[in-house]
Amino acid sequence: MKILDRLEEWIITLLMGGATAIIFFAVVHRYLAGLSIPGLQDWLLSLNVSWTQELCIIMFVWMAKFGAAYGVRTGIHVGVDVLINRLSDSNRSKFILFGLMAGALFTSVVATLGAHFVWENGAHYAFLSLTGAEFGDVPEGPTTPDLEWPTWIVYSAIPLGSSLMCFRFLQVAWNFVRTGELPHHDHGHVDGLDDEVLPVDVDVYGMGDNLHMHDLKHRQVGDKKGGQQ
Amino acid sequence: MNAAIIFGILAVLMLTGMPISISLGLTVLTFLFTMTEVPLESVALKLFTGIEKFEIMAIPFFILAGNFLTHGGVAKRMINFATAMVGHWYGGLGLAGVLACALFAAVSGSSPATVVAIGSILLPAMVRAGFPNRFGAGIITTAGALGILIPPSIVMVMYSVATNTSVGALFMAGVVPGLALAATLGGVTWYRARKFDYPRQPKASFAERMKAFRDSVWGLLLIVVVMGGIYTGIFTPTEAAAMSAMYAFIVAVFVYKDMPLSDVPKVLLNSANMSAMLLYIITNAVLFSFIMTNENIPQALADWMLGNGLGVIAFLLAVNVLLLLAGNFMEPSSIVLIFAPILFPVAMKLGIDPVHFGIIMVVNMEVGMCHPPVGLNLYVASGITKMGITELTVAVWPWLLSMLVFLGLVTYWPGLSLWFPRMLGMM
Amino acid sequence: QAPIVIKFSHVVAADTPKGKASEFFKKRAEELTKGKVKVEVFANSALYKDKEELEALQLGAVQMLAPSLAKFGPLGVKEFEAFDLPYIFDDYTELHRITQGPVGASILKKLEPKGIVGLAFWDNGFKSFSANTPIRTPADLKGKKLRIQSSKVLEEEIRSVGGLPQVMAFSEVYQALQTGVVDGTENPHSNMYTQKMHEVQKHLTVTDHGYLGYAVIANKKFWDGLPADVRGQLEQAMKESTVYANKIAQEENDKSLEAIKKSGKTQVYVPTKEEKLAFKKALVPVHQKMEGRIGKELIQSIYKETGFDPAKL
Ligand code: NA
Ligand code: NA
Repeated sequence: MKILDRLEEWIITLLMGGATAIIFFAVVHRYLAGLSIPGLQDWLLSLNVSWTQELCIIMFVWMAKFGAAYGVRTGIHVGVDVLINRLSDSNRSKFILFGLMAGALFTSVVATLGAHFVWENGAHYAFLSLTGAEFGDVPEGPTTPDLEWPTWIVYSAIPLGSSLMCFRFLQVAWNFVRTGELPHHDHGHVDGLDDEVLPVDVDVYGMGDNLHMHDLKHRQVGDKKGGQQ
Repeated sequence: MNAAIIFGILAVLMLTGMPISISLGLTVLTFLFTMTEVPLESVALKLFTGIEKFEIMAIPFFILAGNFLTHGGVAKRMINFATAMVGHWYGGLGLAGVLACALFAAVSGSSPATVVAIGSILLPAMVRAGFPNRFGAGIITTAGALGILIPPSIVMVMYSVATNTSVGALFMAGVVPGLALAATLGGVTWYRARKFDYPRQPKASFAERMKAFRDSVWGLLLIVVVMGGIYTGIFTPTEAAAMSAMYAFIVAVFVYKDMPLSDVPKVLLNSANMSAMLLYIITNAVLFSFIMTNENIPQALADWMLGNGLGVIAFLLAVNVLLLLAGNFMEPSSIVLIFAPILFPVAMKLGIDPVHFGIIMVVNMEVGMCHPPVGLNLYVASGITKMGITELTVAVWPWLLSMLVFLGLVTYWPGLSLWFPRMLGMM
Repeated sequence: QAPIVIKFSHVVAADTPKGKASEFFKKRAEELTKGKVKVEVFANSALYKDKEELEALQLGAVQMLAPSLAKFGPLGVKEFEAFDLPYIFDDYTELHRITQGPVGASILKKLEPKGIVGLAFWDNGFKSFSANTPIRTPADLKGKKLRIQSSKVLEEEIRSVGGLPQVMAFSEVYQALQTGVVDGTENPHSNMYTQKMHEVQKHLTVTDHGYLGYAVIANKKFWDGLPADVRGQLEQAMKESTVYANKIAQEENDKSLEAIKKSGKTQVYVPTKEEKLAFKKALVPVHQKMEGRIGKELIQSIYKETGFDPAKL
């Protein structure tokens, strides 16, 4: 489980950093290629970098799909929780469980649809050609326009990311049933601000803001239950 | 009829408190499954292609840049610079707070991030200098909202995604209203500080000002990099976002050295976390607006409204009321992504400029962020000051009231938003 | 009985030649089938964007589309890339010999294994280069950042004149030209004018170096499943729409060129025979470079129909 957690974190971290570096490189390349510096210009013009936008988009879509799963684990997804946060603990916990199971339902449906789509979109053909079987009328799938990568590989972010997300919803739900606790990017982080150094993982979408469900364990910064943590 | 069913399902699902993205997605699935012949696989396709657009990529880039700036000592130096410039006037540090928020807003795309960056440093300092807690909290909560009006702005990118309006023109259209709102909030601050005779800072000497400027120049230069880069055509708005992330990284880690290299993965991870959450809402909102288009709902709604003789003035009033109400339950990105595709076609038929309409929505979102029960800025400020939400709400009202007046001005005076981008020839 | 609904989605504005032609098709289809068919046209990517519409059509989520021809290469039908080859057609007569003749029909046929029926080719027009500096010779484009739509052939075309190809969405082009992110682009005159690009470009040279067109396509399962009489009526409506589409495309292009000249914002230059030949000489080698992708045989069969011989340049 720890390995899966770390893997998830590393994937989205690297995708985030990588995409930034790629666009930086593309802009610098285009800028320099426009200057008529003998030699350098010809070399830069000969480099083919028209794939950078496409790659950046693919990386960010993957980052978004796996990051959404990570977001379930960290409890960052926002909802309309003003009303249920006013309910009694026992009623609220029913809604919380319902919400988590709805998340699991949606992501599992999407994972299934996505897997089916990827299969029809070229994975089936690729699988057959890999095993050397007859194609019949199974069509070869399309490719992306610039990199010319098979789109089924690119699109598999949907089934993979959604499956992981579904798993995370179930994990959070199970944890909630057992402990009454929801993941929080803790409000406590802002407590240590007096020393004027902001912790790097302070999260503006995580301050008991009625956009997230209040669990049974943590008291909120706010009116009704006092200011204590 | 279909419209009623779709919105009914959505409202019920949202009120149960599940993530907004999930309730959007489940609404679409339920509707597709029971009432249409659109193949369900198109949902899977849309979930990928919904964010497969280069303009959207500005969002993660701006979030990343904002995180580097927040943690990399840029905010601190901007506050010092602002204090050196205006700290000796009535309102002292408070006025410096408004100026620092405006400066930071010009490099950050998010309002709550602006509140965190400026507030976490300035608010403790204001208390030490003898200001009442609530004075500072009121200023930073509202001035932090400039984060989405002064470019760059994540909410503007969301609006442009939802309506196909040019991001560059929206950014430029935010400049003048942003400065005007900063001046308004500064005015309220000055007036109240004078009335209650709050402390003023000693006037900084010219040398001190120069030093504060030199210290903060790397942060201030980013304003030139982003706006100048877009305007002079070195890069597109999306590329500008990537460049500012790279620049902020270099400034935080190598120039100011307030952030160790070992913190960089953590900043990347946190930025990815928040970006992914917003991108997930976008994907599902795109899905939602796809199903509405497929059922011809926005057009029908537009025709119905116009058929009932709705004029520009009444429509804009209705839009403001609707968005202010929505601001009680949701955060800005979701509001823009859900409401813009519905309201936009009507606005177009009434001849309202798409860029102006975007600025109206953005100012609305700013107001929504500053009042309970849901208001991101308010909760961030509460986290920093440890004041209760009720107490904070009372603290915020003088500034919030002026923001409401300003909203009216922006709504019915298109020239305020449109003059600058027109002058630059961007529209 | 409820009518058969055809959702016809495209990515351009309703008042462009393609937008008007799709509305024309809607009108004729509904008339000819006497209301048995209802066509819903979605303009401006309202329903599907550029990048997803083909897959949506294959899924059956939309029934008809008119994507630009460059979109079929990634689908695996590289034959369509022949239309992107620079100077493969000299004029509309040569072009229509292909798009309305056997070669065109055989290319459309290649879509069927993908679950797609090709119904017709619709013209947009011939493209010209524009930039902020005068373009008299291919060398004038050297080092220039030129916007193209995503296509391997167009990339090679720009490289052949020493330019830097920039793939960019159509919606971004105006601002990119205005601010100078890119120096120039290639467009049929009507696109240039309707997108107001002439306001942000100083020079246009009528090179007519390439063709921009669309293929009107339908989901094969849907099309084959239509009652035979309805399908016949729709084919008739499509035939009429094609005539209409090509006629207005040509008219709009001519009108737009006049309007651009009149605006005084862009200097329009018509190259001499020799100057045009220089562009041809620089660009025609792209044909051979792309043989591996498109197929030598197909290129030869186009040469045969149009009577073009690269050796005689
Ligand atoms: Na901003
Ligand atoms: Na609010």
